[in-house]
Amino acid sequence: MATNGVDVAGAVRDTIYRAAIHLDAQKWDDWLELCDEKFHYAIKAFSPEINYDMIYLQGTRKEMQTLIKLLPKHNTDHSPLTRHTTVYTVDVAPDGKSAKAVSSFVIYQNMLDGTNSHIDAGESRLFLVGKYIDTLEVSDGKARFVDREVRLENRRLDKGSHWPL
Amino acid sequence: MPARNHAQWTAKPPLANDEWIDSRIYSDQEIFEQENERIFKKVWVPVCHESELSKPYDFRTMSIANEPIIVCRGPDNQVRAFLNVCPHRGMLIERRPSGSFLEGQPSGNPKRITCMFHAWQFDMKGNCVYVAREKEGYQDRLCKEEVGLRRLRCEVKFGGFVWVTLDDNPAVSLEDWAGKAFTCLQKSLDAEPLEVFHYHKAIINTNYKLWHDTNSEFYHDFMHYHNRVTGFNDAYFARKNEAFEHGHVVVGTFEVNYQNYEGFESRAALSFPHLPPNQWYMIDMFPGYNFNLRGSALRCDIVTPLGPDKVMIEFRGLGLKRDTPEERQTRINHHNSIWGPFGRNLHEDLIGVAGQGTTMRPGTESRRILHGRQENQTIHDENGMRHYYDEWGRWMNIMPNNPDQTWSERSTASAAVAAAE
Repeated sequence: MATNGVDVAGAVRDTIYRAAIHLDAQKWDDWLELCDEKFHYAIKAFSPEINYDMIYLQGTRKEMQTLIKLLPKHNTDHSPLTRHTTVYTVDVAPDGKSAKAVSSFVIYQNMLDGTNSHIDAGESRLFLVGKYIDTLEVSDGKARFVDREVRLENRRLDKGSHWPL
Repeated sequence: MPARNHAQWTAKPPLANDEWIDSRIYSDQEIFEQENERIFKKVWVPVCHESELSKPYDFRTMSIANEPIIVCRGPDNQVRAFLNVCPHRGMLIERRPSGSFLEGQPSGNPKRITCMFHAWQFDMKGNCVYVAREKEGYQDRLCKEEVGLRRLRCEVKFGGFVWVTLDDNPAVSLEDWAGKAFTCLQKSLDAEPLEVFHYHKAIINTNYKLWHDTNSEFYHDFMHYHNRVTGFNDAYFARKNEAFEHGHVVVGTFEVNYQNYEGFESRAALSFPHLPPNQWYMIDMFPGYNFNLRGSALRCDIVTPLGPDKVMIEFRGLGLKRDTPEERQTRINHHNSIWGPFGRNLHEDLIGVAGQGTTMRPGTESRRILHGRQENQTIHDENGMRHYYDEWGRWMNIMPNNPDQTWSERSTASAAVAAAE
C-alpha cells in the first residue's frame, strides 16, 4: 500500500526480513536497531495441558538489551539458529504511520555443540514453529518494531535457548 | 597427578564406597527396566496439579512407567485416577492431553469417558455404564458391571498436586511418604489454592537420575552466572542439605539478592504466604520429583524416564490462584527469568545433563562418578546425592558403585575417614 508515495507494506516486509537476517547472524544490536524505544518483546504459547496462554519470556527493549549484554557471562548452546520467515499479511493503518503484520516462521537449530558434536555437528534440526505477530511504526519510509509477539506452537522445548527468536 | 592411563582411570577412587557411583546405573537397559518395575510402579508420583482440572468433568492424561493414566474430576469434585486403557481391547481411551467430558464425543455421550473404538462408556468413578450391543454379543456371560476401569490410588495433597501410585498397596501412605520433607513449605503451599501458569517439557538424552542429581546438588551453581551474583555469600554457603526418610532431601533457605543480576528485581512484594522475603527452598523427592520455591514462584519438575539414556522432564510454574493479573504477570516474569525455556538458568542446567548423557550412553565404559564432597552437609556437600543413592540401592537391591553386587549398607564417608586416620 502506498501512502504519500511510500510503499508502507513493502517497508514493513523489509524490516521483518532484515530482522530475521540479523537474528540468524546473531547481530543482536543490529536487530535492536530495528526496534523502537518503546519496543516490547514476548514469546508466548498456549498450553492445552494446563489450558493457559503462557508467556515464556517478555521484556522491553532495554530489558532485551540487558539480557543480550549479559550473554557472554552465561553458558550457552552455541548451535546457530536459522529462521525461515514468510510475511503473510500486512495491515497498514489508514494514516500510513503504523502497521500490523503476521508472519510464519520455522527455526532450525544447526547443531554445533549439541549433545555430541562429533556426531551431531553440522546437522540441522527443526527447533521451533510459530508466528511473528508484529506491530510497527513507519516514518520516513522506514518501519520499526514497537511490538513483537513470538507465538510458538511448541511446548516441547528441550534445552531451550538464551537467544531472542 | 598427570593424565591417567586406563587402569588408573578405571581404578576405585580414594573415597568411601558411598561417595562414588558406577556410571552403568545411568546407561544400562536392564537396570532401567528394573527401575520401572521396582521403583516407578511402586512410588507416589505427582502427575499434575489440581488446577489443571479445575472443573467437574475436566481431565488430564499422562503416564507412569509406560502405563497410560487418566486423572479426572468427578461431579462430586473428587479427583480420581485410572489406567487410560479400555478393558475391551486395550485401546487408549482418551488421546488428548486434557479436556472436559462435559461435551460428547463422536462415539460417546456427554459426561462419559468414551472409548472411541467400540463406544464403551465409563462414568467419572470408572464404572462401565455402556457396552454397545451388550446383550447381543455377551448374552449373560459378561456384563458392564464386570468391566470397569482399573482404578489407581490418587490423592490431592501438598499444595494441590495430584499424586498417583500404580501400587494398590503402597508400602507407606502418601503422608508418610512425603509429609516430613514437605514440612518446610507446608504452610506456604497449603495456605491458599495455587494455580499452574507455566508448562513446558524437555526430552533430553540423559538418564533421569542425572537430572535429579542436578536438582540435588548446588555445587553446579558455578555454572550459573545468575546464581553466583545473586547468591554466593556467607548465608548461601551455610545452607544445609537435610536428608529425610525415603530418599528425599530438602535444601535449606537463605535470602537471595536478585537485584544483583542486572535488570532483575527483588521478589519480596510477592512472597508466597508465610515465606520471608526472597527465600529459596527446594524439596527433592525420590525418585525424581522436585519442588522449588523461590520467593514468588513455585516450580515443579516431574521426570518420566523413557530409556536409560532418555528422559522427559515436565516443568510447571505456579502462583496463587487469587493473583491479580498484574501480580500474576510479575510472578511469571520472576519464574521465567531463570526457569523458563528461554531463561538464564534452565538452559544451562539442561546443557549440563545433556553433556553427561553424551558420555554415559549405553555401551560406554564404566566411569566413576564422584559424590564425595563433605562440607558439614552444607550447600556444596554432596550428601543429598549420597542419601538418594542409599535409597535407590535399597529399592533396586543393587550397589550403586557396583551394579554387579546386591545391595548392602554402604560404608559412610565418616567411617572411611576414621579408618584412614
